[in-house]
Amino acid sequence: MHDAIIGERLGLPSAGIMTDKFISAAELMARVLGAEGYPFVTITHPISSAGEAALAEQARIAAARARDIILGANA
Amino acid sequence: MGLASKRHTVEDVVQAQEFFHSRGWSDGLPVVPPTAAAVEACLEWAMLPPEHLVGIEPVRERPITAEKLAVNAVMAGCLPMHFPVVVAAFTAMLQEPFMLHGPTASTGGCAILIVINGPVRDELGMSGSFNALAGSDRATTVIGRAIRLVIYNLLDARPGDVDRSTLGHPGKFSYCIAEDEGNSPWSPLAADFGVPDGASAVTVMAAGAPRQIMNEWTTEPERILDTFVAEMRANMRHYSIWPGNYAIIVPPQLRSHFEDAGWSKADIRNYVHATAKIRRGEWHECGKGAVVGDRGEREYGALSKPEDLLVIAAGGPAGGFGAIIPPWYGNKSHAVTIAIGACVDCEI
Repeated sequence: MHDAIIGERLGLPSAGIMTDKFISAAELMARVLGAEGYPFVTITHPISSAGEAALAEQARIAAARARDIILGANA
Repeated sequence: MGLASKRHTVEDVVQAQEFFHSRGWSDGLPVVPPTAAAVEACLEWAMLPPEHLVGIEPVRERPITAEKLAVNAVMAGCLPMHFPVVVAAFTAMLQEPFMLHGPTASTGGCAILIVINGPVRDELGMSGSFNALAGSDRATTVIGRAIRLVIYNLLDARPGDVDRSTLGHPGKFSYCIAEDEGNSPWSPLAADFGVPDGASAVTVMAAGAPRQIMNEWTTEPERILDTFVAEMRANMRHYSIWPGNYAIIVPPQLRSHFEDAGWSKADIRNYVHATAKIRRGEWHECGKGAVVGDRGEREYGALSKPEDLLVIAAGGPAGGFGAIIPPWYGNKSHAVTIAIGACVDCEI
């Protein structure tokens, strides 16, 4: 979230990706960085033990949602 | 002295406890109410104005003033004479190589190990002897806790907020030790990091829980270190394979064997660097074969270089008990040492 928000401030369209166990941490980080409500991608937790297929599915979901955020659709 | 902190009025010390706890300003233990007089006494002892900028928290770019550190130091139980050590420790944590945000936020359950060297240990009544890792004396206990409360209250690193530790470890309450310099044949830890003899200093390290070892059945330095190294290997097998700062705590009974054999800290560091290694394929034996891949024969060292090992003399006079303290997450955070009360801008 930090990198994404700093990226935006530097003019680089960005999308942070968080697993669902870190939603509150992401919201907190956005708030303390003065970007409350900054949208981010949520995928399921955990990914470290996900198999190839599950990981590919999460990547597909993340890519689509990140595209929407960056293009401003449903952000 | 013009303090900027908001004032609150409570009826008595009991109500003060409930006031602080209800706002999430404590680690669960009672706090000393940070009255203006107590905060000012800390600042006066350290000769710091309240607005003195100790540093800027790197992720949120939050300025940390001496006044805010003093408030938390008083809450932790610090006397004014303890405060300069708290300032030095937090200043060290704000240095870029320490990467402060990671150790305070990670699921990995890191605590900040603080090691004190120099004359300040005696001035403050610190002991690096009995029970060295767990409340051996008042000063180390409250200084370690002060850093915990600073992390809580100034960095929002409360459990479930910024602090995402899955388990954490008891060192989070307070993880501060004084090196047993008076009974050690070795140079102080701070000297290993360039602090001149006679100066007081703090070293901070993003650290996991101590893992105790015991070997009373040899006087050979190599065999003693083999036990420490076996525990480091266990950490690499069961926790993290990545190299970083490890600390080893060497008690007097084991130190005497090194002294008799003429082993210096450098000799110890070199031996551990050469032997604390595992093959990635060993992860097959402990349930983590899924990520071995085609690198099973690749060798990983616990230390990137010998100097990454912090050799610390501490512990009670009897017993062959030592400990290794592993890094939080490899080389992501580096141990930092600074002199206490170091004057950056003054003229000499």
